Amino acid sequence: MIVCIAVVGHQNNPLYIQSFTEADDALKLHHIVHCSLDVVDERVNNPKKSGPTLNETFLGLLYPTENYKVYGYLTNTKVKFILVTTDLDVRDADVRNFFRRFHAAYVDAVSNPFHVPGKKITSKVFAERVSAIVKSFGLSSAV
Amino acid sequence: MADPANTKLGRMLLDEITPVVMVLRTPLVEESCRKNGFSLIEMLAPFSNFNNIDVPVRTASDQPYRLRKFRLRLFYGSEVRQPNIEAAKERLKEVITFSGDKDISDLCSDPPDIESLIAISKQEMVPSWFQNFNKELIDVVAFSEHEAFDHPVACLVAVSSKDKDPIDKFVDLFNTNQLPPLLNDGAMDPKILKYFLLVHDNQDGMLEKASGILTEMRSAFGANDCRLLCINSSTDGAEEHQENLWASYKASISNSKQYGCFLNADDIEELRSTMHDFSSKHIIPHMELKIRVLNQQISATRRGFRNQIRNLWWRKGKDDAPENANGPMYTFSSIESQIRVLGDYAFMLRDYELALSNYRLISTDYKLDKAWKHYAGVQEMMGLAYFMLDQSRKDAEYCMENAFSTYLKIGPSGGRNATRCGIWWAEMLKARDQFKDAAGVYFRIPGEEPLHSAVMLEQASYCFLLSTPTMLRKYGFHLVLSGDLYRKCDQTKHAIRTYRGALSVFKGTTWRHIRDHVHFHIGKWYAFLGMFDEAIKHVLEVLPCGHQTKATQELFLREFFRIIQETGKTYEVLRLQLPVINFPLIKVVFEDHRTYASTAASSVRESLWQSLEEDMIPSLSVMKTNWLESQQKVLPKKYKESNVCVAGEAIKVDISFRNPLQIPISISNVSLICKHSAEFDETESDANGFLIDHQNDKELRAVSNSGEFSLDTSLFTLSEIDISMRGGETILVQLTVTPKIEGSLKVVGVRWKLSGSVVGICNFNSDIIKKKVTKGKKKPKQPVKDNLQFLVIKSLPRLEGIIDNFPKTVYAGDLRRLTLELRNPSKIVVKNLKMKISHPRYLIIADQEVMNSEFPTCLRKQESSSESCTQVDAARAASSLFVFPETTAISSETPLKWPLWFRAAAAGSISLYITIYYEMEDESSVITYRTLRMHYNLEVLPSLEVSFWTSPCSSKLQEFLVRMDVINRTSSESFQIQQLSCVGDQWELVLLQPVESVSPLEVLISGQALSCFFKLKNRRIRQSTEENTSSLATSGRADVKLVDGDSRGLYDTSISPFILFHHHERVHQERQEQGHGGTVDFILISESWSGSDAGLSRTTEVFSHHTCHCRVASKSPIWWSMNGPRSVRHDFSAAFCEINLSMTVYNSSEDVVSVRIVTLDYTPATNSATSAASVSGNEVGWHDTSQLSEIKVTSDVIGSRGGKAPSTDSVSPFIWSGTSSTRFNLEPFSSAQVPLQICVFSPGTLDLSNYILYWNLVSSSDGGHDVDGPKVSSGTCQGHSYHVAVLQKE
Repeated sequence: MIVCIAVVGHQNNPLYIQSFTEADDALKLHHIVHCSLDVVDERVNNPKKSGPTLNETFLGLLYPTENYKVYGYLTNTKVKFILVTTDLDVRDADVRNFFRRFHAAYVDAVSNPFHVPGKKITSKVFAERVSAIVKSFGLSSAV
Repeated sequence: MADPANTKLGRMLLDEITPVVMVLRTPLVEESCRKNGFSLIEMLAPFSNFNNIDVPVRTASDQPYRLRKFRLRLFYGSEVRQPNIEAAKERLKEVITFSGDKDISDLCSDPPDIESLIAISKQEMVPSWFQNFNKELIDVVAFSEHEAFDHPVACLVAVSSKDKDPIDKFVDLFNTNQLPPLLNDGAMDPKILKYFLLVHDNQDGMLEKASGILTEMRSAFGANDCRLLCINSSTDGAEEHQENLWASYKASISNSKQYGCFLNADDIEELRSTMHDFSSKHIIPHMELKIRVLNQQISATRRGFRNQIRNLWWRKGKDDAPENANGPMYTFSSIESQIRVLGDYAFMLRDYELALSNYRLISTDYKLDKAWKHYAGVQEMMGLAYFMLDQSRKDAEYCMENAFSTYLKIGPSGGRNATRCGIWWAEMLKARDQFKDAAGVYFRIPGEEPLHSAVMLEQASYCFLLSTPTMLRKYGFHLVLSGDLYRKCDQTKHAIRTYRGALSVFKGTTWRHIRDHVHFHIGKWYAFLGMFDEAIKHVLEVLPCGHQTKATQELFLREFFRIIQETGKTYEVLRLQLPVINFPLIKVVFEDHRTYASTAASSVRESLWQSLEEDMIPSLSVMKTNWLESQQKVLPKKYKESNVCVAGEAIKVDISFRNPLQIPISISNVSLICKHSAEFDETESDANGFLIDHQNDKELRAVSNSGEFSLDTSLFTLSEIDISMRGGETILVQLTVTPKIEGSLKVVGVRWKLSGSVVGICNFNSDIIKKKVTKGKKKPKQPVKDNLQFLVIKSLPRLEGIIDNFPKTVYAGDLRRLTLELRNPSKIVVKNLKMKISHPRYLIIADQEVMNSEFPTCLRKQESSSESCTQVDAARAASSLFVFPETTAISSETPLKWPLWFRAAAAGSISLYITIYYEMEDESSVITYRTLRMHYNLEVLPSLEVSFWTSPCSSKLQEFLVRMDVINRTSSESFQIQQLSCVGDQWELVLLQPVESVSPLEVLISGQALSCFFKLKNRRIRQSTEENTSSLATSGRADVKLVDGDSRGLYDTSISPFILFHHHERVHQERQEQGHGGTVDFILISESWSGSDAGLSRTTEVFSHHTCHCRVASKSPIWWSMNGPRSVRHDFSAAFCEINLSMTVYNSSEDVVSVRIVTLDYTPATNSATSAASVSGNEVGWHDTSQLSEIKVTSDVIGSRGGKAPSTDSVSPFIWSGTSSTRFNLEPFSSAQVPLQICVFSPGTLDLSNYILYWNLVSSSDGGHDVDGPKVSSGTCQGHSYHVAVLQKE
């Protein structure tokens, strides 16, 4: 199950952070997302680790903790997507697929002429779409 | 990479993994040592550490090497055992608490910048007590049975010379039941190297006795193993030591004066030589020997291929053995233990190669035996040996990892070992700059105690900080985690320290959720410690947290107030962010020469007033420099920049407060902070800025301290306001300060009280100074105008003006008389009053006589009304500046009342600006004149909508049919139409219907429409066309009364309010295009009607609706009318009938018109269509006049005519006789008569409309002057229908 989804801008400022748990663990998830940025930075700055593909946006598993797995995705505009999940056996292909759809949703959201780049994403449509994607992620991995 | 021995871990290992010497002593020995302030071990400690022992060592190999550094660890026999866990915990806690208390002083300082943090070298940044803590943690697992390096290598037996029977004591001391369990339970060899030391206290004298005992000892225990140690040679006990030898060994005691006070230089030298002797001559050779012996033994049994196989075989056989958590017990005589001892001894003597090979050898055995703890211990040592050899990092790491995980695997008993292993591992990684991995290790170190985990997490965080690239976020995160754990263990100071470290990461980021959390907790913890200043500082950071949930905001606020309450005093906070002040919205209203009647007036743009006052006040440039330049000597230069205000008159400052929270807050005692200085500052303007700032700070402090304004009330008074704000609300607050005496006044800031407990202060000036700094770089010479600095001058008269009963909402057309009342509260008389109104269409100044007359009746026609005043009024209306008569001077007793005419000209919202100029009698003042600005907002609702249609009458020249449509657009109001007037002398208006039929109900109720018809005649043309002029005198009236039975007279539209307003309406309703001929202006006057009875009781409201420039002429410049008999009787049996007609053509244009009349014998089919089209095309909304004014039959006729094609078979009943075309020229404003004749063949009603008038302008100048409009220079007119009834004569 996906616990948290975050969009982080190119200056490492949070643009969108949404948790999908009932518990009041926003602070914890904030911390996890924030910390994983260190790993993103590390991956980006050490290209030899990021693998052979130059334009790979998917950063893979960033940050395995006891309870969570954190996956990262970096767009060409240096916007980071962070996915925190409690599923301990997740297929990379699923995550890739998820990020691809999430990226599409993000692009649509920021293409809104009223969206100010670098500001928080407040679009309701985006939020709805994201939660739909998150839900479908749970389903597809269950199948 | 540096030599492993010089790294931190290397030093640690060289310190920690060294031979242990068990010390046994009698109480008398201890007593002798106590004289110096320490125990025997403590006394010996400095001398058991050798920096350059320089002993040749030969272990298993033949190649000897020299040992430089060497250290012995001394322990009392009772201490050589597994330490008590609880005691160890206590000690660890002590270490932490102690270090926490130590750096409390740092807690008050600001947290360091993150950049500077990185720049600091490692040693400074990482708290030094970690090392102590780690050492203590490692010591917890000392003397475990599975490791040999903590097993005593030798035993130092000390007996005092004072002891009775010292030889026996020596023996007794080594009694087995006193010995540590390690020796007793067989984990180590009880046959241990012994060294006998006879301690002699020189203060007791009897050196001879001691020597005697020594010889006894020598004979008993062997000559080499005994030694006499003399101490306390100094008698006075004031021995000073240059370097404090003991300081570093007993950190807890700082005062070193009395330590070693009885030891003189000889004693110290003896101590040193004793220990040197002991280690170099006894311990090291002993260890060498043991290594060699064991090595031989092991080589024989275990090395070599055959032994290996055998060993393996033998081990395999033991597979079925039941598993024991600690593995099988290995006694000292077992080969495994011996190998381990060999390895450890080799390690201690720095023969890491040998140690490693032995460790390797034994690790497989332990593994096969499933002796996991032993296995892990050996793996650990292998890792360390690899590290010290500085080879195969990978192996070293692998071994450490292996050891670590194995320790973890064996459960809780291995936890502490795992901790130690982890610390070593992390140190190893740190030594190799693998900080990130080290952090991971620290993170993995099991925390049986949350406190230990906290320290480990903190160490991990520093690793993240040191790693390259710096992982700041992880640093922050781990600090936060660690802080939480510290707090759980009541180590608040440590918690604050870690959080502050974390804050340096989160400061300035947009991760406000985390930052708020950190700030809030730091604040809370500071409050817990009683450091309220810091606490408040941090909690203030989180107060304006609009992004948090409501519950969190409440929590923050509650905590804040709790802290404030705990302090027990009202706090003054310079930058309280609750509520937030919106800075750009601060507006300052003050009155210098400009005064305002109301706040609404002051909010109007200054440029608007300036344009209004332009021609009233002394010209602008003069005004600006005039008084300043003339008063140059009085006023210092700098006050050019400052504003002028008058003593006793309030300065209003508008401040908008915004509540950033979702919860309501209450604010009380909002007031300004001001500084008043009675004297002008004589310093130069350059230095002035600084000086003022300085003073402000002082003032602020004074105000802050006293919290009272008692001192200031003599200089100025301040207003105080209490407000309560709902969540997210923004409130605009107007604060006033009224200076009382002359001088200079500065508005410094604003203060308020939040929820009655916290005083917030906002200093405006600091922000301005900030701007100054940024601006100053660009233009340093130019002082920035400071709009909060005022020059207070002595009090001046200030007029107060009000318009009585000024309506807020009126219906359009409402005509009222209003009274302007001006008061002068001061004693000084003002003069030269002038007044100007921005919208003369709405408001004009009446004559003063109007004051005395009754309002609605004075508008009605008087018998003696003179028409000459019209011209004067029009002239006055043209200029909107009104100068009050010279005699008008207002003093304090009598207010001036002046009537004004008001008329709501058009529907909509309108702002009226009135400005009144006046001059002081007193010439000495800085300000010689003032203006009073008044501003009224007005909403005008639509009332009656009046429209007029005029069409020329076809039958008569210069007569027009006027249709008036009136619609009541109001929702509830009813009106009574009173009269319709035409403006001007030349018009005369007649109602076509009887008065009763116009409005049967007398009133026009809301939504109702009314149409009535009038005939409009032009008197001038009548005169020129030489019609009978007698009718002019009798019926020539421009007003028509539309109400029946009203005895009151008509309204006189030629007197002041009507004519003036009409003038402005005309100007307003100016039309671009003017057709040929004249236009007419109508004024419809109505009265409000509120039921039949109530109408009398309330004052009637008069409404006037002006409709100007109604076009009376059609497009063509010519007018004509057909004259002739209307009915003819003729005997058609005799002959056809000839009827003579004449047509009068009038030229109403200013040009000569050439007219051609063409008579047609057929009815032109297309003409009606074209004429209709041409009319409707140019005059939108106008009806085809012929259709409207004539009876309906005609339209049918036209319609049927239009339908028919020009048919040849339908023969017209008449033909035109004479020329079919007549052409003539008409001079301007002249008429001509054209005779026409028709021949009628059969009786009937004839329509003589089948003729066309062609006209064109023939004036020579027509090309030049008609550039403005699309004036048509030629045209065609379809003939009017003219009916002649021809009857058969009987």
